[in-house]
Amino acid sequence: MARLKISGLHKYYGKFHAVRGIDLDIPEGEFTVLVGPSGCGKSTLLRTIAGLEEADEGTIEIDGEVVNDMRPRDRNVAMVFQNYALYPYMTVFENIAFGLRARKTPKERVGPLVEKAAAMLDISALLGRYPRELSGGQRQRVAIGRAVVREARLFLFDEPLSNLDAQLRDEMRSEIKRLHQDLGKTMVYVTHDQIEAMTLADRIVLLKDGRIEQQGAPIDLFERPATRFVAGFLGSPAMNFVPAEIVGNDGDLALSFGDGRQLVLPERRRAAYAGRAGARIILGVRPEHMERDRGGNRRPGLDRMRMTIDLVQLTGSRTYGTFRLGETEVVAEFQVHDVEKPGEEFDLLFDMNRVVLIDPASDEVI
Amino acid sequence: MSGPLSASEAGMGFRIGLFADRRFKYLVIAPAVFILLFIGLFPLIYSLVVSFQNINMMEEDTSFSGLMQYRLLFQDLRLWQSLGHTLLITAIALPIELLIGLLMALLFLEHMPGRPVFVSLLVLPTMIAPIVAGATWRLLFDNRYGPINQVLGWFAGEPMTVLWVIKANLVYPAILLAEIWQWTPFMFLILLAALSNVDKNLTEAAEIDGASDWRIFWRIVMPAIWPVMAIALLIRGLDLFRLFDVVWALTKGGPGTMTETISIYTYIQGFRQFETSYTAAIAFLVIVMLSVAVIFALRRMEITR
Amino acid sequence: MSGASATGAARGGAGEDARRRRRRRGRRRLAARYVAAILITVVFLFPIYWLFMISFKTPEEIFHSPPVWYPARIQFDNYAVLFRDGDVVTVWNSLFVATISTVLAMVLGTLCAYSLARFKTGGDNLAVWIISQRMIPPIAIVFPVFLLYVWLGWVDTYHGLILLYTAFNLPYVIWMMRGYIEDIPVELEESALVDGCTRWQVMARVVFPMVRSGLFATAVFTFVFAWNDFIFALIMTRSEITTYPVQVTHYFGAQSNFWAKIAAMSALGTLPIFIAVAFLQRYLVRGISLGAVKG
Repeated sequence: MARLKISGLHKYYGKFHAVRGIDLDIPEGEFTVLVGPSGCGKSTLLRTIAGLEEADEGTIEIDGEVVNDMRPRDRNVAMVFQNYALYPYMTVFENIAFGLRARKTPKERVGPLVEKAAAMLDISALLGRYPRELSGGQRQRVAIGRAVVREARLFLFDEPLSNLDAQLRDEMRSEIKRLHQDLGKTMVYVTHDQIEAMTLADRIVLLKDGRIEQQGAPIDLFERPATRFVAGFLGSPAMNFVPAEIVGNDGDLALSFGDGRQLVLPERRRAAYAGRAGARIILGVRPEHMERDRGGNRRPGLDRMRMTIDLVQLTGSRTYGTFRLGETEVVAEFQVHDVEKPGEEFDLLFDMNRVVLIDPASDEVI
Repeated sequence: MSGPLSASEAGMGFRIGLFADRRFKYLVIAPAVFILLFIGLFPLIYSLVVSFQNINMMEEDTSFSGLMQYRLLFQDLRLWQSLGHTLLITAIALPIELLIGLLMALLFLEHMPGRPVFVSLLVLPTMIAPIVAGATWRLLFDNRYGPINQVLGWFAGEPMTVLWVIKANLVYPAILLAEIWQWTPFMFLILLAALSNVDKNLTEAAEIDGASDWRIFWRIVMPAIWPVMAIALLIRGLDLFRLFDVVWALTKGGPGTMTETISIYTYIQGFRQFETSYTAAIAFLVIVMLSVAVIFALRRMEITR
Repeated sequence: MSGASATGAARGGAGEDARRRRRRRGRRRLAARYVAAILITVVFLFPIYWLFMISFKTPEEIFHSPPVWYPARIQFDNYAVLFRDGDVVTVWNSLFVATISTVLAMVLGTLCAYSLARFKTGGDNLAVWIISQRMIPPIAIVFPVFLLYVWLGWVDTYHGLILLYTAFNLPYVIWMMRGYIEDIPVELEESALVDGCTRWQVMARVVFPMVRSGLFATAVFTFVFAWNDFIFALIMTRSEITTYPVQVTHYFGAQSNFWAKIAAMSALGTLPIFIAVAFLQRYLVRGISLGAVKG
C-alpha cells in the first residue's frame, strides 16, 4: 500500500505538451480513476508514474520516495496493459510467475503464490495453457493475476477493459472492484469510459488537454460539476446544453428561451444568480432531470413546460424522447409508458434544483 | 453493365462468371508454372535419365548402366571432401554472421537520427555481385599490393607478405572473411527489422515485473524474433551450400582441391571433365535431397507461423 | 481544481539538475553509438572504397608497395580503356538480359501470384513447391538445361540466357507479389466485380495501382539478382554474349591480373546497384527476407 504524490508534472513529446502541470495527492488504499477523452494525457500520466516515460518537470513520490530517477523495475509497481501484454511463449503459470522469478523469489514460494493469485481470479484451471488458447476475458484475468501476485505497493491499470465486449466489461468491472476491496491496495486506473470511472472510483480525476479539469468523488463531479466539460462528460445519455437568458420578473428569476417559454428558478437558488439578470447563460439539464407531469403533488423547485416530442427511442427499460427547446434538441428520459409515439404533447416537469447554469464565456458552472 | 438483369440473364451471367473465374485462375498461372516446370521438373527427370547412362568425355554410351554412376559417387573421395568443405564453411560463417548481425542490430535498434543512411550504406556489400565481392577481396588480399597485409604490418611492426589465397592454412580464413563481410549486413537488416517489430508492451511489462535487461532479452525478445531468425538462417544456409562465386574468384577451388565447394566440384566434373552422366547423378541427388530438406523446413515453419 | 503550474515550476528547480544529468548521460550514450556505427560502416565500406580507388589509379599507383590509399588524381583512363577495347559491351549485355528477363518474370510472376493469392490455386503445395525452386543450387539445374540448350542451339544466345534468368527469378517474383497482393483488402476487388468488371479489368484497375510500390521493389530486386549472376552466365555463354561478371573473371590471368580492368569493370557493374539501393529504401528488408519481415 502506498501513497502517491505527484507535483507539478510536465511531459513533452517534442513540441507537444502532453501533460501540463499535474498535482495529485492519492492517499493509501484509494482507487483513483484517471478519465478523459482521447489525447487528454491520462495514459501518458500513468506511464510516467510507472517509469515507462520520463517526466520533463515535476516530481513523483511513492511513499515519500522520489522515484523520478528510478527504473520501472525498481519502483515496485504493478501494471495491467490494455492489450494484456502476456508473454506468448509461456504458459499462464509461467506468465504469472515471471515477475517472481525475475526478483529471485525462492522456488518453493513461487508455486503457492501463483496458485493463490490464480484462485483469486478464478483461473486456476488455466494454469497450463498458453495465451493464444484463451479468450479475451481470460487473458485479462491472467494479466491481472500477474500484477496481483507480486505484492507490489501500487497498481496501475491502462484501459484494461477497452478490448472486451460490453458484457465481459460489466463482469470484469465488478471483479476489479472486488479485487480492490479484497486487496486494499492503492490503485490508479485509466479509462475513457465514464461508466467505468463512475462505478470503480473512490476518486475521479477528469483530465482535459493535459490538465486536471476536476477531481473528487464521483458523485461530486456528477452533481456539482465545475465546468461544462465535466458536466457533459459524465452521465449517459449526456447532459443537454440549452442557451438561455436570465430574466427577472417581480422578484422571481427565470430562464428564458428564445421561443418565449420560461422556466422559473427555485427560491433558494435566486440569491446565487441575483446579480445576473439579463445575462446569457447555458442551461445544463440531464435527461433524468425531466419527467412527464402526471398531476399529483409537485415538489418545490419544479417548473413545467408544454412540449411536443419529436423522436422516441425505446430501450425496454426506459424511453428517451427528444424535443425542441429554443434552437436546441433536448433528450429527456422517461418511464416506459410515459411516451409512446412521436407527436405526443404534454407537460414536462423540470427539476430546477438540480440543473446547472454555465457561463458561456468561461464554460464554468456558476 | 447497367440496368437490371432479367432472371434468366442473371442466372446465365452467374454461371459464365463462375466458369470464367475458374478458367481465369488456371490460365493465369499457366505460363509461369510451365516455365517453372522447365527448371523444376525437367532437370530432375533429365538428370535421372542421364545418370543411368554412361556418357562422358570419351564415349556417348546411352545404354542403361544401372546405378553405376551412383556407386562411383559414393566412392568418390573428392566429392565427399567438397561436401565437407561446403559444410565447414557453412558451419563457421553462419553463426558468425548471425552473431555480428545481431550485435549490429542491437546497436542500431534504439532511435537514432540518420539511421536510414547507415542502413542503406551497410546493405551495399550484400547487393553487389558475389563475384565482384570475391574479386575485390582478391585485390585486398594481395600479398604485396593489398592493404590487408599492410595493416597487419602496422600491428606486427614489420612488413607482412601473407599469401592469403595461396597458402593452405590461410585460404579458408580468406574465403570466410570475404563471405562474412558480404552477408553479415543481410542478417543485420533482417534482425533489425524483427527486433523493431517486437511488441513494446511485452518488454515494458517484463521490465515492470522486475526482469533484468539480460532476462528480458533471452526470455522475451529472442522467442519473439526466433521465427524470422529461422527463415534468415534457412535462406543463408542454402546460399552457403551453393557457394561458388566468391570461392571461384579467390582460389578457383585451390590450392589443389582444398577449397572446392560442392558446386565447384560439380562444375568441374560437368564442364571441365565432361563427365556428363556422373554430373547428372550428382545433380539429381542434390536436387532431391535439397528439395526434401527445404520443403520439410518450410512446412515446419509455416505451421509455427 | 486544476493543476497549479506556478508551484510546479518552483518545485521543478530541484528536479532540473537530475534531469540535466540524465540528458547528458543519454547524449553520451548516443554519441558512443554514433562512433560505433561510423566505425562499423567504414569497415564494411572499405573494400568497396578500395575497389573504386584502384579503378581511378595509374598502374604505378596500383602496383605500389606499400599500397596507395588515395590516388594523386582521380583519373578515368582505366574506364576509357574498357570503352576503347569494347569490353563495355558486356555491361550493355548484362543490362539487356537483366531487363528483359525481369520484365518477363514480373509479368508472368505477378499474374501467377494473383491467382495464388486470391484463389489459392494449387493450395499450399504449389506455393511451397514454387518457393523451394529458388532454393535449389543453380549448378544442379543448370547442367541438364545446358544439355538441352546444346541440343536446341541456344547456348551463347540472348534468348537462352534470358529464358534461364526469367525461369530462375520467377519463384522470387511469385512469392513476393503474392505477399503484396494478400496485403490489399479483398473488398476492393469484390466491389469492382460487383460493379461489373472482368477479372482482367480488376487486375489492371484495382490491384495494379495498389501494389505499384511492391511491384517496383520486387522488380528492382529481380533485376539485381539477374544482374549479379555469374554461374549461369559462365556456363551458358561463350564468346557471343558475355555479361560483365564473366568479363571480370577474364581479367584474372594465369600470369598477371589486369587489376585496373578488374576494378573498373567491377565498378561499372556496381553503379546500378547503388542506384537501386537508393530507390529500394523502404522495401529493402521485405525484399531480401523473402517477405518474412515486413520491415
